[in-house]
Amino acid sequence: MTNMQGRHRRPGSPLRRQVFAYSIALAATVPLLSSTAFAQAVDVSKWSPDYIRSIAGTETFDTAGQCGSVVPNDYSGRVSYWYTGPFEADPQIAHDQDKAFWEAFKAAYPNIQTDVQSITYNELLDKFRTALLGNAAPMVVRLQILGGVEFAAKGYLNPLKPEDVGYASADFWPGALKSVTWEGESYGIPTNNETMGFIWNAKIFADAGLDPEKPPATWDDVVAYSKQIHDKLGIAGYGLVAKQNAGNTPFRFMPEVWAYGGGALDEASANPTYETVEINSEGTKKALQTAVDMYVRDKSVPTSALTNTQAENQAPFIAGQLAMMIAHPAEYAKMLDLASKATGADKEMADAVVENMRYGLIPEGPARRAVVFGGSNIHVVQPEYVEGGQVDEQAVKALICMWTSPEWSTKLSWVGSNPGHLGGFKTEWMKERLDTIKFLDVTTSMLPNGIPFPVLPEAPEIMNIIVPDMLQNALTGAMTVDEAADDAAQKIEALRGGGL
Amino acid sequence: MSTDTQTPQRSFDGWKWGGRVFLTLLLIFTVMPMAWMLITSLKTGFAAMQYPPQWWPSEPTLSNYTRLLDPSNSVGQDFLRYFWNSLWVSTATTILAVIVAVPAAYAFSRFRFPGRTFLFFAVLLRNMFPAVIFLVPLFILMRLLGLVNTHGSLILTYLTFGLPLAIWLLKGFYDNIPIQLEQAARIDGATRFQAFLYIVMPLSTPGIIATSIYSFIGAWNEYIYAYTFLTRHDQMTLPVGIQRFFSENATDWPGLMAATFMMSVPVVVHFLVLQLYIVRALAEGSVKH
Repeated sequence: MTNMQGRHRRPGSPLRRQVFAYSIALAATVPLLSSTAFAQAVDVSKWSPDYIRSIAGTETFDTAGQCGSVVPNDYSGRVSYWYTGPFEADPQIAHDQDKAFWEAFKAAYPNIQTDVQSITYNELLDKFRTALLGNAAPMVVRLQILGGVEFAAKGYLNPLKPEDVGYASADFWPGALKSVTWEGESYGIPTNNETMGFIWNAKIFADAGLDPEKPPATWDDVVAYSKQIHDKLGIAGYGLVAKQNAGNTPFRFMPEVWAYGGGALDEASANPTYETVEINSEGTKKALQTAVDMYVRDKSVPTSALTNTQAENQAPFIAGQLAMMIAHPAEYAKMLDLASKATGADKEMADAVVENMRYGLIPEGPARRAVVFGGSNIHVVQPEYVEGGQVDEQAVKALICMWTSPEWSTKLSWVGSNPGHLGGFKTEWMKERLDTIKFLDVTTSMLPNGIPFPVLPEAPEIMNIIVPDMLQNALTGAMTVDEAADDAAQKIEALRGGGL
Repeated sequence: MSTDTQTPQRSFDGWKWGGRVFLTLLLIFTVMPMAWMLITSLKTGFAAMQYPPQWWPSEPTLSNYTRLLDPSNSVGQDFLRYFWNSLWVSTATTILAVIVAVPAAYAFSRFRFPGRTFLFFAVLLRNMFPAVIFLVPLFILMRLLGLVNTHGSLILTYLTFGLPLAIWLLKGFYDNIPIQLEQAARIDGATRFQAFLYIVMPLSTPGIIATSIYSFIGAWNEYIYAYTFLTRHDQMTLPVGIQRFFSENATDWPGLMAATFMMSVPVVVHFLVLQLYIVRALAEGSVKH
């Protein structure tokens, strides 16, 4: 985020004065930045549930003080910010933590005015795109993990890296940093990162003659378990989702594709180049075949899978009509929240559902155990696209420093995610989370298995349109598995070549 | 003399019964979504996710409504603000649409001037394109006018597609008011404006009311422009505001249904109270005087 106002100046704008003022401020803060940068917070190579527990609560952080050394706490300015905050369907604790953050920010920076808009997950990208077209964007925006690439590629974002706000790049997951890097330049800082886990109903497993405490170890097991559950109980076994133009579909299908050794491009490899198309590889075809086996041959997944998102799986899971599914940590928290608010006869039923819920690692395949590496990143918008044509660099830094700190990246992702800053895993709040959110153990231990979607502007089109289309073509019988995979490969190649 | 009273044997009328069955099915088809919306709004979040569904909640609750209508909590504050915003935007749009459409329609109906037909169809041209085509151009225009994140942007936009319909509806109505009535008034000494005000306006009241209702409902339910032009929560209208019941991984169905039910109340009441005028206005167009 160096000299962010100097890139595309507008005639007549008071740029020179600002650059001069910021240069002085920058000269004063550079030595502080280097002295306050955290050392690498966590040894990722030792990652395991035990290791996470062993480090939780071992370090304390003075967030206001740390950020005060980056931007003085008495700095006077203004920052505008768009993000997806907690809404009505989110658990109460998410609302409480969000409120606490803004109170803490006000206490740390009483002279910075904030203009904050919380926009729902499904609306944020569209609204942001429109606002950019009309030069009415906020100074800072937090987007879903791959949302930023599209805007970085189009020149809407300012360069921004952890060091700009007093942190070290080593304090963030390499995969997360990769997701904010476009053509070698960093355009954002990870705020939170999560992976999903596998959730199942122990009672249904027992009723179907399966070990209620043992989840399917492999994706082949998932197919077999799903069939057994359906054959014995007449209900859906696995919660397949295949809705077109829905992010839920690739988040649940790609882990299986990667597990069988496939991919959309080469995103699952150690050093992806995104040059080779692997959607029609043998691995992808095997994964696609399992979906066809469950949907067409065994009929062991919901009939409505073609139009289902994960939200449509929650009700049958809670009602005991669906045995297992890939679930986001927030879904488990939501079920607990619903159960706690149920009354009378509903309360009894809700408690039974929670009692029977089990959670484990996502099954593995012949190639690996894999999960989508998800999360969000915070970005700074180029001044010319911002309402008013100016970005208050110091106020922006203050906000980002607070938001991505070990403390707040932990608290703000309380029920749904994990801290983007690895130092968050050492905080007392991480310990509290591990003690109170059982599912967290599983999802945090899945993090090293996380594979980010391709860091390309075309990634949303590939993942949300082409991959679900491939699934639909195979599941509806419109194409064979081979044809559907080849069709998807052609579409990706055309898209990468600018032809779609 | 025997007084045998034979009851005439009524033959089974298949067409009549078929019609009744069809209408009953149609009624169920129409009413079910509303009924289900109401029932779901009386459930807890857990009960709303039960399968098979609870046709009537085992523990009915009004908490979703009290939450929405209680200004002391953040949900209530926001909902009531969205409600007020929608009411203000829809009412302002309706009043402005009527103020402009009444004289415009009268002019198209009564006056003969060069380009009259062209202008009349030109007015309708705007409504022949999908709304989404004008989205970004209008957003940029509103941005230049400094109207983004204001209700003015919505009122102005709604007028662009509400006015043509209003003018078109009202013109049809004025066409069916005999011009001789105005001529009689003019002979009695009334000016053209007085004839319009005292003779034509009272006769066209049903048409104006029908036009107002269409305009109000159009503005009340509009989503895509409000979604695009407004990002500030304090400016949002109801169709956009109720999105807050959806989040990334969950939906608050009972809250959403309660909010949707509350949102439909003004429109339904408005419609029920004034439906007579709508029917009359629509029927006017079918008779040539």
